[in-house]
Amino acid sequence: MDPHSTPNDLIAQEQPGFSPAAAPSVVLSGVTRVFGVVPALVRADLRVEPGETLLIRGANGAGKSTLLRVIATAISPTYGSGTVLGLDLIAGREEIRRRIELVGHRTRLYEDLSARENLRFTCSLYGMEPRNVEDVLERVGLTEVAGERVRGYSQGMRQRVAVARALIRMPELLLLDEPYSGLDTEAKEVVDRAVLDAQRAGRTVILATHDLTRGGMATRTVFMDGGRILPQLPTPGHL
Amino acid sequence: MSLIRQSAVIAAKDLRIEVRGRYALGAVLPFAGTLLIAFGLSLGPGRTLLQETAPGLLWLAVLFASVLSFRQAYQSESEDGAIEGLLLAPVDRAAIFLGKAVAVIAALLVMEVVVVPMVAGLFGLSFGREPLTLAAAFVLGTIGLGAVGSLFGVLTESPRAREAVFPLLVLPLATPVLVAGVKATSLAVGGRGGEAGSWLGLLVAFDLVFLAAGTLVFGYLLED
Repeated sequence: MDPHSTPNDLIAQEQPGFSPAAAPSVVLSGVTRVFGVVPALVRADLRVEPGETLLIRGANGAGKSTLLRVIATAISPTYGSGTVLGLDLIAGREEIRRRIELVGHRTRLYEDLSARENLRFTCSLYGMEPRNVEDVLERVGLTEVAGERVRGYSQGMRQRVAVARALIRMPELLLLDEPYSGLDTEAKEVVDRAVLDAQRAGRTVILATHDLTRGGMATRTVFMDGGRILPQLPTPGHL
Repeated sequence: MSLIRQSAVIAAKDLRIEVRGRYALGAVLPFAGTLLIAFGLSLGPGRTLLQETAPGLLWLAVLFASVLSFRQAYQSESEDGAIEGLLLAPVDRAAIFLGKAVAVIAALLVMEVVVVPMVAGLFGLSFGREPLTLAAAFVLGTIGLGAVGSLFGVLTESPRAREAVFPLLVLPLATPVLVAGVKATSLAVGGRGGEAGSWLGLLVAFDLVFLAAGTLVFGYLLED
């Protein structure tokens, strides 16, 4: 028996015909994350079903990014436990990472590589053939500049490459952390189209934004404030 | 995907960035050249003194150049948070360590191919008497520096540690490479390459220890 297995893992392994895809996409139970002495996420309980598009709203510093980064296994919970795609947040993080994509504020691109090279590198990391790189570049409207270094791109163009990276993999769980920041309307629509593509493909999407003009495609909305997921609709001040 | 394939993918990416930007070589080669010329001028025209000190100066230049190279190699990961993309990918942490080490070792070897003949010309050394010993010393020493630099270069990702910790950790740890490299180079220059076996053996042991250590512990330096 794997000493790191959690009760959830064992239940999952014992169920005949268990498919991780049938498990809830995200289950968090009392997850707290503290940076130094500052709690960024406080006793978060969350359940997201497969195929759901969850919108997380909240002001800057509400804990949205920390929540998404915990789900993405980029950071570990200080307290609490959870599963992502049926896998334990700690013991199953290698497999979780294989099946999710986080599009964050920072686009995580190599400045001296072109958009095409960045995408091909992503394909190589995930052991994928770079067959649909050109198709995805066209979908995000970057075909003409795909061979130029990312260093010369605007923020909107960079975010399109980040979205293209998500599209090229079409992961089971897509996490978007303030993907509209600093984008013009056209680039925002590229992000929206990516979310809709993921929805149509039956993927689970969690979108965190404080942009009130976006997120209309969500099937459910939760609100965060002070690191907590609010149990009820917030006052207008929170919005 | 195998560890070797993953390492090759990361090394190829780093080399592509280096070839594209010529950051490390663009800074490192002029630095090494200036250092050697400055020492040559300060030591004066005495050929014997120049020849005795040349191996040490050459290895000092290589050591400082390796520090600059690793700072650059990890800077490309931190500029736009790219390292997080690597960490969230299904890639063995050891492959990141090995890939970055291979890329910097390749860049340093290119630099050495330029700098060694320059030193030979400036200091009047004959590196042709024991070419195999000399090549072994530089290849093995560079692998050692690459392993140490790749292992601790990731610490430059920490904003508080960026400026101070890397040289403080790497320079003392690289001392065995410096000593063995200088000794083996001196013996090769003096035509006594056959006596350099123990120093080359030390370099081999150093390489194995740090390659193994890096492969095993690199992941712990990266995880939250």
